[in-house]
Amino acid sequence: MLRFYLEVARTAYRRQLIYRWANLAGLLTNIFFGAILSYVMIALFHARPVAAGYNVRDVLRYIWLVQAMVMIVLTFGWYDLMLTIRSGEVVSDLSKPCDFYWYWFSREMGRSAYYLLFRGLPTYLAGMLLFGFGVPGEWKAWLAYAASLPLAAMLGIAYRFLFNIVAFWILEARAVGTLATTIALFFSGSYVPLSFFPSWLHAIAAWLPFNGLMNVPAQIFLGKLVGGALLIELGRQVFWLVALTIGVRSLASVAARRVIVQGG
Amino acid sequence: MRSYIQSMMSNLLLDLRLYRRLIAMQLRAQLQYKMNVFIDIATYLSVTGLEFVPVLIYFGSFPSLLGWKVGEVALLFAITSMSFGLAELFGAGIDGFDETIRRGEFDRVLLRPAGALLQVVSSDIRLRRLGRITEGLLIFVLALGLLPGFSWTPLKLLVLPLGIVSGALVFIAILLLGATLCFWTVETTEITNILTYGGRELLSYPLTIYNQGLQRFFLFLVPLAFGTYIPTCYLLGRPLPFGLPGALAFGAPLVALAFALIAGATWRFGVHRYQSTGS
Repeated sequence: MLRFYLEVARTAYRRQLIYRWANLAGLLTNIFFGAILSYVMIALFHARPVAAGYNVRDVLRYIWLVQAMVMIVLTFGWYDLMLTIRSGEVVSDLSKPCDFYWYWFSREMGRSAYYLLFRGLPTYLAGMLLFGFGVPGEWKAWLAYAASLPLAAMLGIAYRFLFNIVAFWILEARAVGTLATTIALFFSGSYVPLSFFPSWLHAIAAWLPFNGLMNVPAQIFLGKLVGGALLIELGRQVFWLVALTIGVRSLASVAARRVIVQGG
Repeated sequence: MRSYIQSMMSNLLLDLRLYRRLIAMQLRAQLQYKMNVFIDIATYLSVTGLEFVPVLIYFGSFPSLLGWKVGEVALLFAITSMSFGLAELFGAGIDGFDETIRRGEFDRVLLRPAGALLQVVSSDIRLRRLGRITEGLLIFVLALGLLPGFSWTPLKLLVLPLGIVSGALVFIAILLLGATLCFWTVETTEITNILTYGGRELLSYPLTIYNQGLQRFFLFLVPLAFGTYIPTCYLLGRPLPFGLPGALAFGAPLVALAFALIAGATWRFGVHRYQSTGS
């Protein structure tokens, strides 16, 4: 069975390879937004050299890391599953001799691998060339990042799955999806690093599942999370991953039992 | 000559009447689902509102953005939002044009006895985009609250609506240029999104924080700054970059119109070159 899921992931990866021009355009968009935010932050840091424990180099790395990771972790406007529910195609996926959730999970893992290589890396490299902020050199941080990034990607899949299966109950669920993604972007620290949040909001955000999507891997990458704090954050990431996965899987099985087929 | 102008004017009036009727039709159709429209607007308001919160958070840690205080940045952000919101509302038909091309429906548009551009523009109006305009209005009120020393003059009251409408016109002209590209590429290109969404993001902050190339681009090539940054500087009594005179704020409609006319001419060129697609 594992071989089957690996094959699903590989197919999804290969399917992405076809959209070469779309990826290039997306890459340009990521670079453009990264550049705008960089200029804003550089201008802000004119007023003081260090804020919320960040200097301008940290914050530039952070911004470009967010741009590099966003397609891996929190794809904006991912409605693939929702659309199959609307069109009725979902029935053929539900009747495949495999688990419905792990099927989509494998597909998305394949896609994430593609975006890591063909979007994430080039985006960060472009930022390095444009603004010359380099990469952190601590090998322990890289090791921890290599553990945290896949967790973030899997957490993102569970969350996407969650706001997509809403379509089993509400037919036009795109608005829900847009709001869900924006909230996640905000609380994951994709707009502003969580360290800049007022302390009460930061305390709330730290306990939300979105913390593990962007903030935790990014903090690790920057070398700001070490020792005990690192273990606690990785633990929270794993906790939310398990909780969310179990949650959406049971929700999906409820939905599948009472599914009424649309389309025809 | 006189009769030519007369017939042109009467044609324009006919077009406007047709536009009003087609849009009224769209509105009636969308308002059949009042609850849906309301939820969509509220959602869009929350989404765009969350995009503004970072500005407030930044100013918790930093006193100013290259000399701009929080109220001043909020004012710029609000004006850009309202401009962009208007463009999204009225430019929806142009924005969705790639779909028309892909399905081969543009052939049908060309067969009808009305201008192609008029039909495309009046094919859609997205009420949910009122969410962004509402967001802009709310931030505008907030900005005025954060600017205690701000005072209105009759000229400022004139510059504000001129700027917002000019900005919207330039945004719509960019959408039209993007739609024209569809005649050749069939798909919408992400390049349009970089100029619209990216332009909105970029112009939400003072232009002078960017490098000179970007500043020149949005002043002289794609003159979005004429609808957003330049009027805001006029309202705040701030000097313009490159030694440009502040009175340029009154020229915004002319610049926007010139850019829109160029976009319109490109569109007509594209229509003549159109070869059908679809299956």
